[in-house]
Amino acid sequence: MTVNIAGVVLTASVAAFFVGALGSFIDRRIGYLASSAGSVGLLAVAVTVIVGGSVTGATWFGPLGASEGLSLDALSAFFVLVASIVWTATSLYSLAYDDRRSPLLAVTYSLALGSIALLMSASDQVLFLIGWETMTLASYGMILQAHGRGDRVYSAAFVFLAFGEASTLFVFLAVAGFWVGTGTFTFGPHLGPGSLATLVFVAGLIGFGLKMGIVPFHMSEWLPIAHSSAPSNASAVLSATLTLAGAYGLFRIVSLLSSPPLWWGAVMLGIGAISALLGALFASVSEHTKGLPAYSTIENNGLILVALGVALLAESDGLTALAVFAVFAALYQALAHAVAKTGLFLSAGYIEHTSHTFDLNSIDGSVKEGSPGEYAGTIAAVLSLAASPPLAGFVSEWMILESLFQSYRFGQSWVQFVGLLSGAAVALAAGLILVAMVKFAGFSILWKPHASTPAKRTPGLGAVVAAVGTIVVAVGVLAPWVLRFLAPSASAVLGANVSAPVGSLLSVPADWSILSGSPFGIMSPPMIPIALLVGATVGAGYYLLGRPRPRRRVKLWMAGSPPGEPGQTYTSFAYSTGIRVMMSSVLGTREVRESQGPVAVAGVHAGEPYSVDLEVFDSFKLFYAALVRIGNAISDALKAWIMPGRLGRYLAYVLVVVVAVVVYVAAAY
Amino acid sequence: MIGSSRTPSGRPGPTSANPDLALAYAADDGSFAVYNDYSSGHETIRPGSEAEGSRDVVATWRRTSDAWRVRPAAPVEAVEGYGVFTFPYGPISMGVPESGRFDVRTYGERILALSPVAGYKSRRILSSVCGQTVSDAALRIERLAGNFSAAHVAAFLSAAESATGASVARGELWVRALAQELQRIYNHIHVIARVAEAASQNVGTAQAHALAEEMLRVQGSVFGHRWLFGALLTSGPRRRLDPAERRALGGTLKRHAEAFERLWELFLGSRTFVDRIQSTCVVAPSVARDWGAVGPTLRACGIAWDDRLRVPTSPYTDLFLDLPQESSGDALARLLVRAHEVRASFLLIEQLLDRWPVTPEALEAPPSSLASSRGLGRVESPSGDLVYDVTVSRDRVVSIGMRSASQANFPVFALGLRDGVFTDFHFAWESFGLVFAEVDG
Repeated sequence: MTVNIAGVVLTASVAAFFVGALGSFIDRRIGYLASSAGSVGLLAVAVTVIVGGSVTGATWFGPLGASEGLSLDALSAFFVLVASIVWTATSLYSLAYDDRRSPLLAVTYSLALGSIALLMSASDQVLFLIGWETMTLASYGMILQAHGRGDRVYSAAFVFLAFGEASTLFVFLAVAGFWVGTGTFTFGPHLGPGSLATLVFVAGLIGFGLKMGIVPFHMSEWLPIAHSSAPSNASAVLSATLTLAGAYGLFRIVSLLSSPPLWWGAVMLGIGAISALLGALFASVSEHTKGLPAYSTIENNGLILVALGVALLAESDGLTALAVFAVFAALYQALAHAVAKTGLFLSAGYIEHTSHTFDLNSIDGSVKEGSPGEYAGTIAAVLSLAASPPLAGFVSEWMILESLFQSYRFGQSWVQFVGLLSGAAVALAAGLILVAMVKFAGFSILWKPHASTPAKRTPGLGAVVAAVGTIVVAVGVLAPWVLRFLAPSASAVLGANVSAPVGSLLSVPADWSILSGSPFGIMSPPMIPIALLVGATVGAGYYLLGRPRPRRRVKLWMAGSPPGEPGQTYTSFAYSTGIRVMMSSVLGTREVRESQGPVAVAGVHAGEPYSVDLEVFDSFKLFYAALVRIGNAISDALKAWIMPGRLGRYLAYVLVVVVAVVVYVAAAY
Repeated sequence: MIGSSRTPSGRPGPTSANPDLALAYAADDGSFAVYNDYSSGHETIRPGSEAEGSRDVVATWRRTSDAWRVRPAAPVEAVEGYGVFTFPYGPISMGVPESGRFDVRTYGERILALSPVAGYKSRRILSSVCGQTVSDAALRIERLAGNFSAAHVAAFLSAAESATGASVARGELWVRALAQELQRIYNHIHVIARVAEAASQNVGTAQAHALAEEMLRVQGSVFGHRWLFGALLTSGPRRRLDPAERRALGGTLKRHAEAFERLWELFLGSRTFVDRIQSTCVVAPSVARDWGAVGPTLRACGIAWDDRLRVPTSPYTDLFLDLPQESSGDALARLLVRAHEVRASFLLIEQLLDRWPVTPEALEAPPSSLASSRGLGRVESPSGDLVYDVTVSRDRVVSIGMRSASQANFPVFALGLRDGVFTDFHFAWESFGLVFAEVDG
């Protein structure tokens, strides 16, 4: 008898999260340690699956009588791999971060992780749905554990739940459509082209897109505020892996729908590009240490959608090489974003611990004086999200832009045009997110004067952020090897064996470069640090061997005053006001002034002191406000009609239900 | 008598320091304020004590050793809001070449409030002249601001002469006028060059600077010093103003006037240039009036005020002077006024040279009765009304006060730039022709 060790580990790892949730009632550290163990176990199984093939864990008969259970193929293993990297970091971080008396954060945290693990390793769609719903409920619970619970937190949690349930509704619809078309809930048979496939695609795009916060589901009260209102370890889980679950759903749907029509890809591409642009735009004008990364999540999810859209278009057009490259780009984007975003949210938690604020304008130098590891890890995460070479985010963004550059290959001119516009939007988003990330790093750790009081150090937090930063660097520098490792996952998406788009360039060692097209563009991430190292060595040699120069030290000086005097420090808000003004037509920028009354100097009118606020507005809110109004009106009307408060009417309802049940049972038997 | 001994409200003003000087009134704390009552067509001196906090009046006198700083229209701290901070711009930085600073209240991009901060480099010139003879004092006064040396010395000498009752030869007054008009032309062209530089009009900037340099050379050739140092003192360098030299000067200036016309036409033909300065830093007439704006800044708001016409002295009483006026109050209007004044000054100099006084009577000072008292002198400097208040005893300066055009216009500039964007700063700043040295003393 052969023992399926990987299957056992898979089952045990998923179970560990739920056991940890129960254990958290005894001691919250049990929950976090169990989550860490479960994450490491999943990591090992995921690597095994990607390298060696599918693994099946525990199976059982589900509520509908069909066999269901845990299993991983190369596609789900990729997402489990990414999620488990994130969870290992967040769980270890939580041991130092969570200092609450209540165990509820640890309980909901473990439940959320377990739910996501369950849905990603579900062998069928029913279990997937169960995982999807419990993930929503557990995440709702996590948001409620935010410090200083108030109306803002309750409101954010409620909106999260509302959007989450709407998402479940559409995912349910997609699953139902799939079942009607194939007659099974298992992730195996493909659904052919037709109206049912279109229904599944549209419902899936809305359902999973809701979780990813893509346009038009991006508005600030939803993903950005919900994610930023949660405790930082929960924010990282929500932003990096809850949205990853949405991405997994989309990848899975794409892999199960054969012969996609051209417009599917075009819709995905267009929505993705707009999401990326708006996400980056709102991130660049956000002043919240967690709101900014949350908006950046929308941008990154938009980029995943862009790459997937290009892949669908290329597949429809028979451009296999481009489709393969775009799928790799989408997978890489998901990996790069999840890891770097985890680093950024954990850094925000560190800032919260040291500076006691989420406001970029109010952070003092205490963060800078804190942990060097946190400092380095944050810089790596920020640079990656800003797509700086040679980090992970740079590789994925380069691949996505390379895909878009090749939109001229598409057969129809309107598709080329969509590709062109999307490329412009993505490029603009890349520029805007650079502003956002420079702002985050600059106003949290780089440019701040030293704190007047010693920084509060929390051992452990900085080390985890540093470790995440190391992964971000490694995923970028070792991109050609990571891409080769991901080849089975890309094959699972495309339904055919494909190899990684790597090759050679001039004297660069074989397979150290990434090739787009055949070939279109080429780039070698490992050569970038080597070139930097050579440059630094030459510079250092020149400096050391050159004539020593006298060094003059002077005190910092700002307009005749010591730098950083109160009220004279450049603010984070001011840094991005240029964007608020330039993009006022999109942001709805509005200046609100409140007069403090006239002041006269020597009898001469001297202007009025006033308080001023420069507000931005997401115009999509108008749509939701209208939706809420309509919903409330319908609800009121139904309430008046169905529940008028008359006993006779209610008894009639009961009678109708009883008769209906009797008729149904009689007909069935 | 050009003034009123009563406040605009009709109440009697405080005790005058010198009843013989209608223009000078001392507030209770010894400070002075000078306002021009443009609406009534003649100036009125409003005592600073009329309202509370007389030290806060806009155009406070800079007296011998008073601590002084340019008063902002309102403290920049008066504007609060999320992300709002004070950005110190200057001293000695790109765009602010002098040792002065601007506190810019902003939330980024937009200037919510602006406060000029002077006093970084006080040479204490005013206090240093106390105890000096009038001619020695003039040698220091002219170094207050080299660009405006002729105006400062002329105003100072006028005040000292008013104090002592000394008479001045008519020919000497013509020399002063010639020097001032030459310097006015130089200054206006210099300001135009600076604005063009801010607008990256590189060719035009170079040509304007070259023309300004030519004007400095003209000053040097006529008065022996390109900045006119010592030029207004009879004991100064020899003036090259004999008939042949006057003819040569007239010819040179005619060429320069033609060169200026060609240059100005080029500037006005550049849409890039005009677009950058049109509607930039608009000063409303009411603001200019309330805050005591002077010079081209005032005339660009539609208020035709010029000391040469409103307070005429020889030789302006005998010459034709065209007074330009614009109404939009923006940087373009200020430049248009300056350009027109360049033409007017060329015309004035032409008249001066044509009718140069050569009779013996004109070259001798009439008899005078020397007294020890206090006098006020005011001239229209290139940037506007410049006022000196000097007390002299036995030909030595006892005390001195000064209100420069820059002092008067700084608050107006600060108000005009409110709600502007930072990229407009240079165009606005240069168009006012403000000088920190005139404030620091």
